Amino acid sequence: MLVVRGIRVGRGGVSDLVSPARLLGLGAIVSMTALELALLTDDFSLAYVANQHSTTTPFPFDFATAWAALEGSIVLWGLVLAGFTWMTLRRYRRSPDPLGAGALAVMGGVAVFFFGLMLTVSNPFEVCTSALEVGCAQTSPFPWATVDAPLQGPGPNPLLQNHFLMAVHPPVLYLGYVGLTVPFAYAISALALRVPGPEWIRRSHRSTLVAWSFLTLGIVLGGWWAYEVLSWGGYWAWDPVENASFMPWLAATAFIHSGLVQQRRKMLQAWNFVLVITVFALTILGTFLTRSGTINSVHSFTQSAIGPALLGFLVLVLVGSFALFATRSHLVSTSSRIDSFVSREGSFLANNLILTVYGFVVLIGTIYPLLLEAFTDEQAAVGEPFFNRLAVPLSFLLLLFMGLGPLLPWKGSPAGQLWARVRVPIVIGLAAGVTTSLWISRVGWVVLAVTFAVYVISGIVATLVRQARARAAKSGLSLRSETWRVLGKDQTFWAGQLSHIGVATVVVGIAFAANLGHHAEVSLEPGEETEFAGYTIVYESPFQAREPNRLVQGARLSVLSGDDFVATLEPRANFYGADTTGVVTPAVLSRPGGDLYLTLRDIDSEQVELILDTSPLIWMVWLGGILTAAGGAWSVLARRISRAGARRGQTADV
Amino acid sequence: MSERARNGVFLAAIIGLAVVLALTVSVRPQSESRVSHIGSRIKCPVCQGESIADSPSQMAQDMMALIAERVAEGVSDEAIEAELLDAYSGAVLLDPPMSGRTLALWLAPPAVALIGLAVIVRWRRQSPIAAGDGTVDPGSARKLAGGILLTGAMVAIVVIAATTLQDREGPAAGVANPDTQDLENVSNETMEAVIASNADHPEINGMRLALAERYYEAGDYRSAFPHYLAVVDSGQATQPEAVTSLVRLGWMAYEGNTETETALSLFDRALEIDPSSQVALYLKGTVLWCGDRDAESARALFTALLDDPELPEESRAQIEDDLALLDSGEGCA
Repeated sequence: MLVVRGIRVGRGGVSDLVSPARLLGLGAIVSMTALELALLTDDFSLAYVANQHSTTTPFPFDFATAWAALEGSIVLWGLVLAGFTWMTLRRYRRSPDPLGAGALAVMGGVAVFFFGLMLTVSNPFEVCTSALEVGCAQTSPFPWATVDAPLQGPGPNPLLQNHFLMAVHPPVLYLGYVGLTVPFAYAISALALRVPGPEWIRRSHRSTLVAWSFLTLGIVLGGWWAYEVLSWGGYWAWDPVENASFMPWLAATAFIHSGLVQQRRKMLQAWNFVLVITVFALTILGTFLTRSGTINSVHSFTQSAIGPALLGFLVLVLVGSFALFATRSHLVSTSSRIDSFVSREGSFLANNLILTVYGFVVLIGTIYPLLLEAFTDEQAAVGEPFFNRLAVPLSFLLLLFMGLGPLLPWKGSPAGQLWARVRVPIVIGLAAGVTTSLWISRVGWVVLAVTFAVYVISGIVATLVRQARARAAKSGLSLRSETWRVLGKDQTFWAGQLSHIGVATVVVGIAFAANLGHHAEVSLEPGEETEFAGYTIVYESPFQAREPNRLVQGARLSVLSGDDFVATLEPRANFYGADTTGVVTPAVLSRPGGDLYLTLRDIDSEQVELILDTSPLIWMVWLGGILTAAGGAWSVLARRISRAGARRGQTADV
Repeated sequence: MSERARNGVFLAAIIGLAVVLALTVSVRPQSESRVSHIGSRIKCPVCQGESIADSPSQMAQDMMALIAERVAEGVSDEAIEAELLDAYSGAVLLDPPMSGRTLALWLAPPAVALIGLAVIVRWRRQSPIAAGDGTVDPGSARKLAGGILLTGAMVAIVVIAATTLQDREGPAAGVANPDTQDLENVSNETMEAVIASNADHPEINGMRLALAERYYEAGDYRSAFPHYLAVVDSGQATQPEAVTSLVRLGWMAYEGNTETETALSLFDRALEIDPSSQVALYLKGTVLWCGDRDAESARALFTALLDDPELPEESRAQIEDDLALLDSGEGCA
C-alpha cells in the first residue's frame, strides 16, 4: 500500500508535459488494481473495503464495488482521465505540436486536482486500525457479538448490487464525463498559447464527439438501470443527479453543432470557447452535486466532506478560464458573418439557442431550491411538473429545427427550395399523426410526438433518396448502389442523422410510455387471478430463496394473453445483510408492444399486494438512446477513416 | 403537374391533415387519474426528492389514500393540495407556483431565451461584411460579452449555492444545547452533523436518541446502532436514556442478527438499571420464548407484568394474547 501511495505522491507534483503522462497512467492503473485486489481478496483492513464490501458479494458486484462509493469513484475518475491523457499523448507523439502539449498540461493540472483529492479528503486506502474506529465499526453491526463469526462486511449499498447494469453504467458515464476534459484542455491550450483557429476546434470537436457518445450511452444505461431496479416504473425523474449528467450533455450537443459551423463557415469561435468551458464546468458542477451530498436525491448514496474541494475547483475553473478568455478576446473574434438565417448554420444557431435555454432550465431548476433555502430559509422543491412544462415544448421546438437543418444547404438556400424540400416530410408527419390519432391513441402528446418524429425521420430519408436519385440520374447506376455511395461519401453527416433518428425514436418511446401506460394495484391470494391491460395474471405461490449475498422473498405469477401462456414473472424483495427493509425488485416482461411491469408491495403467506404497470413502447427509449450514441461513434470512426484515407492518398501522390 | 399545382396539392394536404388532427386529438391526458395527478405534484416528506405518487413509503401511501378519499368527496385539487401541505411538514409542492419567491424560477428561462435571441439578432445586424482575415468586429465581441455575462451569472449562482451550504450547516452545527423538543423538522443529515460536531457535549444524548429512534423506526438498524451504543458508552446518559438504548440494542441484536444471548444480556443490563422497566421485561420474555430458550421463564415474566397496575391497556391486551398463544403451545407470533 505504501508503494501505491509513494507513486501517487510522486505523481502529485506533476503538471509538466509529456513523460509524466506515462507516470500518471501507471499511477492510476496501480491505484485501481490495488483497490480491486483489496476488494477481491477481502482485505478488510482497508476502511473502504470494510465499509463497502462483503465476502458474499458475488462477481461482478464485488468488482464494481470499486466505484460504488465516493473514494473508489474518484479512483475510477483518475483512471479514466489517465486513459484519455494517454490517448491525447498518442496523438501528440504522432504530430508534435504546442497545442497538444498545452492540452496535456491542462489535463495534467486536472489530474493533479483529482489525485490530490485521493490523497486528502477522499483517500480510498485509509487503513482501519481498530474495528471501533469511525467507519470501520460498520464492519459488523454488532462488534461484540461477532467474535466467532467470520468478518463478512456489510457489502455495497443494496441498490447498487441489485442489477448488473450497475457494473456497467458508471464506467460508461465516467468515460463521457471525464472525456469532456479533453476538448476543454484543447480550448484552454489554444487560448493560453494564442493559437485560435481551425486546429483547436477540429480536435476539440472530435474529442467532444467521443465523450458525447459515451455520455449518451451512460445516460441511457442509467435510465435503464433505474427502470429495472428502482421499482417505480420510471427511468427519468429530473433528479438532481440525472440533471447533473444531462446538463453537460445538452451543452456538448450544442457544441457539436456550433463547432461544425466554425469548421465550415469560420464563425462562432468565441461562442465555441464559451461552450467548451461551460461543458467542462458543468461536469465539475455535476460531480459536486452528485458527490457532496448537497442536494437530497435518490442517488445520494455518497456524502462526504469533498464538497468544498470540488466547489473550489469549479470556481477556479470558471474564473481562470473566463479570465483567460477575456484577455484573449481580441484573438478569438471571427469576422465572417452569417449570410442568411435560412441556411444550415441558421438552423444550428436556432439549435444552440434552444439547447442553451434548455440547459439553463435544467440548471436553474436543479439549484433553485438550494438558493431559495440559502436566502430565505424557505423550503421549495422543483420537480417533474416544472421540468416537464418547460422541457417538453423545448424538445418539440428542437425536433422542429432538427427536421429543417439537414434539408438546408450551408450559406443559404434559394427562395422556395426549403419549402420544396420540407413539404413532403410535413405531409408524411401529419399523415402519421392522423393515423395515430384515428387508430392508436388520441392523447395529444402521443400524436404530437409521432407527428414530429416521423417528420424528422422522413426528412432524413427524403434527403437520402433525393441525393441518390440525382446521382443515379447522372451516373445511370442503380438507385440502391447510389444510396450506399451517398451514405459512404459524407459519413459524418449521415452519422449525425443516425443520432437524429435516435432522438426522434426516444421521443416516441417517452410519449407512449408516459401517456398510455396502465396502472393498477391489486391483492391476490394464491390461485387467484386478475385481468390487467389485456393480460390474465395468475398468482401461483410465494417463494423464498437464499442466495450467497441475499435472501429473496417473492411471488411467482403466470401471465397469460387470452388462453396462451406468456411467461412466469417473479417480482421480489431482496434482503442484503442486516438490511431488514429489503430492496423491492420489479419483474418485467418485455414484448414488442411494451412492457408489463410488476412490483411487489407486500407479501405474506395468505396474499400478495402488487402494483401492476404497463409501459408501451418503452424499448424505443433504449433503442433510440443507443442509436443516438451509435451515431456519435460512427462519426468518430468516419473521421478516423477519412483521415487515414487522406494519408494514404498523400503517400500515393508522393 | 406544374410546380404551382403541386404546391397547391401539398398546401391542401397539409391544411386538411392538420384540421383532422386538431379535431381528433384530445388534449387532456386520459391515463392519469386525478389522484395520481395530485400525488405527482407533492414531494414525499420522508423520501429524497420523490413524489408521493412514486414513493413506496408508508407515509406516501397514507397521503395517497387521503387524496383518494378527498377526490371521492368531491374536494377541489387546490383544496386537497393545501390540506396536505398543511398537515404534513416537509411536504412541498414539486410544481412551484408562478408567484412569490418562485416567480423568478419561471421568469428566468424566457428571459434567457429573449437575451439569446437579442444577441443573435444584434450580431447579425452589426457584423460588417468581412473586410479581410483577422479583422475584429464589434458584433462578435458583443456576443462574446453576452456569453461571459451569462457564465458570470452561473458563477454567481454557484458561489451563492456554496454559501447556502455554509449557512445551513453553520448555525445547526453551532447548537450548543440540542433541545429534543424542537427536532421534529430537523433532517437526519442535520442531526448527524450536529451530533458529529458536538459529540462530547453532555446533553447530546437526547439528540442522539431522537435520531437513533428515527432510524430504528425506519428499520435502519445499521445507522441506529452506533448512536445507541454511544449513549450507553457515554456514561452521562440519564437512567431512562440508558434503559431505552440497551433495550433497543438488545432487540436489534435479536431481530437483526438473531443474537439471542447478546440480546438477553443487554436486557439484563437494562433491568439492572431499572428493574421495573416494562419494555425490558416484555422483550426479555419475548426473546426467551421466541428464541426457544425458556418458555416457562417467559410465562413467569409475562404473568408478573400483568400484575403491574401501571401497565397500559394495549400492552395488557398484547401480553394476554401472547400468554394465550404460549399456553396453546403454538410458536411465538
